[in-house]
Amino acid sequence: MRIWKKNWSIPVFVYLAAALVMAYASFRLPNLLPGDFVTAMYAGSDVTLNAEQEAELRAFYQDTHGFPGYLRNLATLDWGYSHAFMAPVSQLFLQALPWTLLLMGTAHVLSTLLGFVLGVEAAWRRGSLLEKAVVGIMTVLEGIPEICSGVLLLLVFALSLGWFPAAGAQMAYADHTFGQWIADVAHHLALPLATLILAYLPGNFLLARAGMVMVLESWFVLTARAKGLPPVRVRYVHAARNALLPMVTRFGLRFAFMITGALVVETIFSYPGLGTLLFNAIAMRDLPLVQGIVLFSAIMVLVVNLGMEYIYNLLDPRVGHAY
Amino acid sequence: MTIQIKDLTISYQDLDHALLALDHLDLALHPGKITALVGESGSGKTTLGKAVMGLLPKNARTKGSISVDGIQILGLDEAAMNQLRWSQVAMVFQNGAASLNPVHCLIDQVAEPLLQKGIVRRKAMAAALDLLARMGIDADQAGRYPHELSGGQVQRGLLAMSLILDPPVLILDEPTAALDAMTKGFITKVIQDLRSAGKTILLITHDLDLARNLADAIAVLYLGRIMEYLPGTDLVDSPCHPYTLALVRAFPFMDGMRDLGGIRGDAFYRMVHAHTRENGRTHAHVHVAAPDAVHQGGHAPPQGCLFQPRCTQAVLECSLGDVGFTACGTHQVRCIRGGIAQILSFEKVAKSFGKVKALAPTDLTLMAGEVFCLVGETGSGKTTLASIASGAVAPDQGRRIFQNRDMDRWMKTDFASFAPKIGMIYQNPAESVSHRFTVFDIVAEPLRIQKQEIDPEKIRTRVLAALADVRLSTAPEFLKRYPHELNMGAIQRVCIARALVHAPDLLIADEPTSSLDPSVQAKVLKMLLGLQIEKGLTMLFVTHDIGLARKVADRIGVMANGTIIETGPAAGIINHPEQACTKILINSARGLGTRSLASIPGYEKENICRS
Repeated sequence: MRIWKKNWSIPVFVYLAAALVMAYASFRLPNLLPGDFVTAMYAGSDVTLNAEQEAELRAFYQDTHGFPGYLRNLATLDWGYSHAFMAPVSQLFLQALPWTLLLMGTAHVLSTLLGFVLGVEAAWRRGSLLEKAVVGIMTVLEGIPEICSGVLLLLVFALSLGWFPAAGAQMAYADHTFGQWIADVAHHLALPLATLILAYLPGNFLLARAGMVMVLESWFVLTARAKGLPPVRVRYVHAARNALLPMVTRFGLRFAFMITGALVVETIFSYPGLGTLLFNAIAMRDLPLVQGIVLFSAIMVLVVNLGMEYIYNLLDPRVGHAY
Repeated sequence: MTIQIKDLTISYQDLDHALLALDHLDLALHPGKITALVGESGSGKTTLGKAVMGLLPKNARTKGSISVDGIQILGLDEAAMNQLRWSQVAMVFQNGAASLNPVHCLIDQVAEPLLQKGIVRRKAMAAALDLLARMGIDADQAGRYPHELSGGQVQRGLLAMSLILDPPVLILDEPTAALDAMTKGFITKVIQDLRSAGKTILLITHDLDLARNLADAIAVLYLGRIMEYLPGTDLVDSPCHPYTLALVRAFPFMDGMRDLGGIRGDAFYRMVHAHTRENGRTHAHVHVAAPDAVHQGGHAPPQGCLFQPRCTQAVLECSLGDVGFTACGTHQVRCIRGGIAQILSFEKVAKSFGKVKALAPTDLTLMAGEVFCLVGETGSGKTTLASIASGAVAPDQGRRIFQNRDMDRWMKTDFASFAPKIGMIYQNPAESVSHRFTVFDIVAEPLRIQKQEIDPEKIRTRVLAALADVRLSTAPEFLKRYPHELNMGAIQRVCIARALVHAPDLLIADEPTSSLDPSVQAKVLKMLLGLQIEKGLTMLFVTHDIGLARKVADRIGVMANGTIIETGPAAGIINHPEQACTKILINSARGLGTRSLASIPGYEKENICRS
């Protein structure tokens, strides 16, 4: 944080400028999609529009404000109105957000923690049979995309065995007590969460192990051992602390790309999060909704970046000197 | 607390071969004593330190024993070892800042062992702060992270960290490497205080100056074996093993005079191999490999002395049996020749030419591998002494011993085997070659006269090799040139090639550069000294220029009135001359003139060197 203390205005300016660019891109880019809401809406129906009707509809759904108007609306927290879902964008967004946060947040935190601990322990036991086996399995898992593992899990545990629900985040219209509701949500969460952990854990594990293997060879680890410290302390307080930085980077990046990351899994399991919402919005060419979600993910990347710069400084005192 | 290391052998296993790091090593460390371990990189110094801490890597294989106050520590499990670590035996690792964890601040790392012993944080921090303060680190610096500290502060911090549990045994691995002289001085003082406090200290270093100043005893390690075990004070002035001498010569001592010389050849590794022979049996053996080649051209079985390929006094017997320790004064040396050997010694040798007494009865001893400089005024008998040493002039009286044989008898009975042992470079290059000889013939002449080689092809090969050694062209056109076509520097190089072509053991150089201008002189001298190191030559260097002598010599002998009046290590002679005549010689060379000379009693007399 050193540079910030010296001149805090530079990063603020940089991040604001970046946010503005992002806002413009999120406004412009969805417009470049082929087709529009009118063609999407009437594509599947039997109704045939004549040119006049079509022009009239287009004029009705047309965005008339342009970018300055878009910005003005954003400033008043007005994200626009979704014609496809006939609801304000912010309302749709806020309904979906908690589910994505629940799914993705849990997946990230669990896979990072688990991957880190497993990686550290594996590096410590480097060369043993168990370690070799685990590294082999993780390397194979790392190569399987979530679209593949997700569909497999869905087929086996939901459709074939029937242990878990195949879709949704909670049972509809059920009259649950709070405890029952929690159990129900967890039950629905299990399969998509498992898919995501299968997708994220191997990478975290391999990264943590590789970093740890390097750190374990350094002189300060030898010094820590020479000091007669308990092995757990040598492992975590001395070695793992130094292998943490790449893990944090990975966590941050993954978290920033939460919505795009959720797209595949949420769609497979019809989970009512932002990923599914975005998928539907694009299919319907519902521009205000697409714009809203794209802008949110972009801002999210910026916020996470900002947060990580702060966390880096806490974790590794040398980073402050890197500027 | 006493540490006994007995018969310790450590190798690092790597697939089908192993690196032999320590080979049957015996060493005892005593309380209140500093034992220094010196030697080139890769000689196994750090391995020993790690072994005592029980921190060898997983692929290390150990044999023998290390006992700390009678407790066997090889083979102890981690938990038992952790009881000893830091509280009984602490270590300062090499590489300075790399030994500190970059993400914890200094004081936390210093206080950590105390906290682990259950001391409350406030007390532990106070103790750490106090110890750091004694090492010259203030509270502000103590709270910094390693990357915010200077190299000296890191080293002070590491030392404080090793002392936090007040262990009776300390292992210091290169505690002053990469430090400035002032910090080095401070750390030296701290280590001395620790010795006074009765700690057992193992000092691992390649800083010979530090070893000399601190150590009670020094073990010189080469390829995992102790070559010499000697009192610290003897390191510079009277090493016994050729390896120790070579190390000393390579080290930039502040009071060293001679230009730095390396050690001939390269350091090696020792590999243990298992091979399948043609009869299908697997055969394990140790062999020596160069660092850059895993399996260097066949096998050099490790018979005899390990240092023999690089030694300046190796004889046939050196490559035969195993070499044990022999006493050499108070030293222990692993050398079948009993340490550095005499190559030439004169007992009361004298010479007169008619009525002129050129050489009064004089004693002289040349040690194998050294450069001995004879200095003195013209007419003091230098050239006569050099000629007698070369065998060209016979003395009127006295005995000459060369390579443990009576030189006169050797020359009389078997001159053919004696002649190739000595090479000679004369004062004036232009006059020491025949103007009717081509370059090739000049250099080939000794081989032809001595009938060492008959085959013209072999003669040609050796001549070309000798010319290449002195960095002269080996092109056919150059070989056909005559001396008058060459400049003075080139002629002197031809003369050096001629002196070396028959591979002598002793090279006598009589004013070899006095007829050259300073730039050529510098080049020729550098080359000559390089050859002396690489070929392991002993050199008798005659010069009137004491300034030159101190750049060249290991030892200097000052001549006056036809005898040697003073001999000693070059630094001793130059800095602390004892004889009045030597003082005059040195002061004159410094251009101080009569002003400083007036203080020497007897100077008013015309010349006290000619009494």
